[in-house]
Amino acid sequence: MLVAALVVSDSLGFGFDRAARASDLPDIIVRFDPQSASRVAQRIAALPDVAADTVRTEVTDVGLETADEFAGDGSVEVVGQGRRGYAIVSGRDVTRPGQVVVERGLADAWHLSLGGALQIDGLGTERIVGFSESPDNVSYPLAVPRVYVSDRGTGPLAADLAEIWLRDPRNLNEVLVQARATSYGLQGLRFVTRSGVRVLLDQAAGIVIDLLVALSLIALATASVMLAASARAEVQRRLAAIGVRRAVGASRAHLAGTQAFEALFVAAPAATVGAIGGVLATYGPTTRLLTLLNEPAPGTALLPALAAAWVAAIAIPVLAAAWPAWRASGRPPVALLRGAELGASARRSTRLSAPRAGLTVLGARLVGARRTRLVATVAALGFSTAFVLLMLALASALSSLETDPQALGKHYQLTANLPASAVPRVRRIPGVQAVAPRYEEEAVDSYSLGETIDVIAYPGSHTVFEAPPLVSGTRLRGDGEAEVGLGLAQALGLSPGSTLAIQLESGRELRLRVAGVVSSLDHDGRVAYVPAATLLAADPSAAGDEHLAVVLRPGANVAAVSTALGSTSAPATGAIGRGVPLVAVLRSILRAVAIVDGLVCLYALIQACALTVQERRRTVSVLRAFGAGGAAVRRLLAGAVIALVVPAAVIGILLERLVLGPALSRLAASYVTLPLGASSSEIAAVLAGLVLAGATAVAWVARQTTRESVIEGMRAP
Amino acid sequence: VSLTRREAIVLGAGALLAAGCGSARSTGAGSGSTLASTWSDPGGTGTLAAGPGEALVARTELGPVRATNGVIATLAHVTDAHVLDASSPARVPFLDRLGAPFESTFRPHETLTGQVLAGAARAIRAFGPDIVIQGGDLIDNDQQNELTWALAALRGGLVVPDRYYGVQLASDPDPFYYRPDLDAPQHPGLLSRASRPFRSAGVGVPVYPVLGDHDILVAGEIVPTAETRALAVGDEALWELPPGLSLPPGTSLTAGGSPDGPPLPGLVNGFLARALAGPKVRVPADPRRREMDVADAIGVLRAGASGSLDYAVDVGRDLRLIVLDLARRGGGSGGLVRPDQPGWLASQLAERGSPGADGGAGGEARWVIVVSHQPLASSEGGESLLSLLDAHPRVIAALSGHTHRNLIEPRAGYWLISTASLIDYPQQARALRVLRTRGGGVAIQTWMLDHAFRGDLGTISRQLAYLDAQGGRPKGFAGGRLDRNVTLYRTA
Repeated sequence: MLVAALVVSDSLGFGFDRAARASDLPDIIVRFDPQSASRVAQRIAALPDVAADTVRTEVTDVGLETADEFAGDGSVEVVGQGRRGYAIVSGRDVTRPGQVVVERGLADAWHLSLGGALQIDGLGTERIVGFSESPDNVSYPLAVPRVYVSDRGTGPLAADLAEIWLRDPRNLNEVLVQARATSYGLQGLRFVTRSGVRVLLDQAAGIVIDLLVALSLIALATASVMLAASARAEVQRRLAAIGVRRAVGASRAHLAGTQAFEALFVAAPAATVGAIGGVLATYGPTTRLLTLLNEPAPGTALLPALAAAWVAAIAIPVLAAAWPAWRASGRPPVALLRGAELGASARRSTRLSAPRAGLTVLGARLVGARRTRLVATVAALGFSTAFVLLMLALASALSSLETDPQALGKHYQLTANLPASAVPRVRRIPGVQAVAPRYEEEAVDSYSLGETIDVIAYPGSHTVFEAPPLVSGTRLRGDGEAEVGLGLAQALGLSPGSTLAIQLESGRELRLRVAGVVSSLDHDGRVAYVPAATLLAADPSAAGDEHLAVVLRPGANVAAVSTALGSTSAPATGAIGRGVPLVAVLRSILRAVAIVDGLVCLYALIQACALTVQERRRTVSVLRAFGAGGAAVRRLLAGAVIALVVPAAVIGILLERLVLGPALSRLAASYVTLPLGASSSEIAAVLAGLVLAGATAVAWVARQTTRESVIEGMRAP
Repeated sequence: VSLTRREAIVLGAGALLAAGCGSARSTGAGSGSTLASTWSDPGGTGTLAAGPGEALVARTELGPVRATNGVIATLAHVTDAHVLDASSPARVPFLDRLGAPFESTFRPHETLTGQVLAGAARAIRAFGPDIVIQGGDLIDNDQQNELTWALAALRGGLVVPDRYYGVQLASDPDPFYYRPDLDAPQHPGLLSRASRPFRSAGVGVPVYPVLGDHDILVAGEIVPTAETRALAVGDEALWELPPGLSLPPGTSLTAGGSPDGPPLPGLVNGFLARALAGPKVRVPADPRRREMDVADAIGVLRAGASGSLDYAVDVGRDLRLIVLDLARRGGGSGGLVRPDQPGWLASQLAERGSPGADGGAGGEARWVIVVSHQPLASSEGGESLLSLLDAHPRVIAALSGHTHRNLIEPRAGYWLISTASLIDYPQQARALRVLRTRGGGVAIQTWMLDHAFRGDLGTISRQLAYLDAQGGRPKGFAGGRLDRNVTLYRTA
């Protein structure tokens, strides 16, 4: 579990930085409407701190085709000399016409191979010479398919994309201010910086990755606690033996060392097997997820971390064994020997537990007699329970984010690509409760030009259509006001009353007073709701992206309304837009981690039962000598399991709801409150799992116990 | 340094503070001499820092290296200070975004021109020349208040700038202007600091002015008209680009595509009319912004002068300075040689530069340095003047400004020396020391002077000028190594 968590957190947590390094991701990516390449190059050359730049053409909506696949929305980047901004992960780069480099996500999805052919509309059949990765966008199928061809032989093309590498990226804002000041006349200008790219990626997958990474961290902590608890329980079991050795003159250091060595003897192979298992369980799904994100798998870069985890997986139980042994051996041997057996009251209870129901109680008391082990095992089980609950809650949250627009505070169910003039007609469609034009534009912060902002505007109150929960301040009321997402407020230090300055695609700057801060998941919370009139006055071109948001009456037939709206209608989207493959991969990872965690639970229960029986061999044999059969032994063990599972379940549920869920939510997305409390059905499912694990443990240990002859058990020390 | 959320998660840190590294840079050496120290950006990162000086390099195109045996004169050449009233309603900063030829209508550091000139005066004072040549374009927009401030900064006195009210205010939502309170590099409070009165010690030696186009023309191009005069002293300013106003690529401001001729009246008037019809901002009116007539400007620059600023002066016993006025009276920034000037120059050369004419040492004629604002080579009719200089044996240099560029080229028997401006990077003046050499020749040691205003305002101005993507850095105005600190040898 430790290694599984490590693989996930390291691979995903540092994936973007690894990819940015590998692909030589530029510090600034500039997109604009087609312009003379030399004109753009001239302006870039005048900027300070520029180490290198490349001006190229990106042709969109190009048909890409193989024998088996077709996409009509391909992106073809025509590259020339100089730095690339993408990494060749297989094969080589394009050097002349007729060659094409294909993004790895597309290659995987279409099962393309080097040397194969790809038909590109307008260029003909190109030979695939390499596969690439670049984290400036997510990969196909989360994004459009992308390929690169050489500019040689394609003739003069107007440029619409420039990439800039800085000598000192700390001067990014200075460079952006100069770029903005000299950008007049470039239409459709958009700057994207590395941090902006990260935000763009986060639109597709960020919340998923953040949740996974946070989950992994919690798993790391949980695994550590469980390892330590397990080792400590083992020492507790051996207190009597420690007492004997101490009585015959063994030193404390020798005893602690012996205990540590024995723990090492067990932990080293276990850690090795566990590490291999953890890697096998999670590396594949994680790599698939990274491919979708255009990020490379960590490969050998993971080895140091794995080695550290392996050492930790050994060191934790070794230390957890040595330390209690050291402490215990400081006590008088007599006390140790006394403490090694059940107390008198327990023995009396044992003798009195003749009734059938009393066997269950006896089992519980037998487990309860070892308080330290009880606490450690309950803790391990409780953490595991909480962890499994957390995963279930996470899966539900992701599913909701993927499919349920309500999770984003969206009240509209449908959109229609229709002009504002169609509002009266749409309003008359049966089942439609409200309809209004919705405008959306990507802008940047005027002072930190790398910070992108999703600007959303409605005429009138937007809360009818979208009402993310208000965190502070008020809803916007006037033309000069805006509501901003908490993510944006955190990034720019905004609060109610402060000024939001955004630069629109038109080049104009919009100054708005922040009326309120809302909790929104869209665009990492970097959203701003503004009045439509204000947006359109500053950027009339925003009307070009106009579409209608449609709220349906309760119980309305969505399909009927959608049909009435025509082919332009579409359901409102969730936060993980085109994330279906992403969530599928996530489920693989969650499943792997859940299986590991389930096995941990089962192991903890079996160990607790086995230890109890081992210590009480004579007691159990006496019971069997008096006629107790396998069923009685199972009742005895069931009592032990109940004593462990019931408090563990209570602790697990409380831990998940009160600690881990909120912690995960905060870690993953500080700008929004995610619903990560487990539901009743999820709790019921986990309890059922615990019962099943307990039953399995009881059955297995009972079977082992009844195989031993009564006489042999009576002879036990 | 900032940490992304995911990094913070992985590293187990809930939140890490972004650590800003405010730099408190030195304002550089007080002397301003680039022989000792100068500002440079060796890493090319856009950040200037005080670094080592540049030693003199010998240039021998006009003569071999010879030992020197005495100083003839020391001079400082400070040109194109463009001291300006950044709040003036007569300015047209919105044109800057259109690019060439309007790039000079707005600069990020334009509120600090007075301080920069005072800093240059301080550096010159530390150098201690015999005279200072003020090479023209002392002011930017032909306004009386600009000239008052500039002369106080150069000659010494209290400079009292107006309270700033212009396009760089944080309240202006136009992102094409650098707003120091908001935009990177941020300098909160800079505008109010720039408006505070300051005292300049001045250069402390006689100043000989040259007339530049900006000294007598609006924006260095346009003859003041009733409209521009009214705009200058009025209370309505043009900050915003009028809707639909654009400049098609390749548009020339002058007839026939010449960069130096008078601006096309139709183009200028059309621009002005459309601008005036566009959105305007109410600003405090100020009668001191009066646009000056040519005679007014010349009279203030050089007492007793009128009409034109052609004159000659002796500097010590062996050097003669001839100043030429090439500023167009009819508009346009390029130099124009009037019909009478070749004759006048020829007479000056014959009278002052001939052996024994004026009691030069040892019966030798004085050496001659000719100064103009616009380079003679690029001025209309300039070749006629250059041919006179080519033919004269005692001419050792022709100094100019206007191009804002450091450049030194040999021609015939003398050096064409162009000095950078104080408004654009590298914001330098030039020191010149004329020396006798063995064998009867002459050498000119010349090196650049960085302005050295007390406090950090000068340094901020220089850094902003360096970052300016329309400024002197990308245009290479600092020149090459051989255009700055050199010894120029010339045979007898």
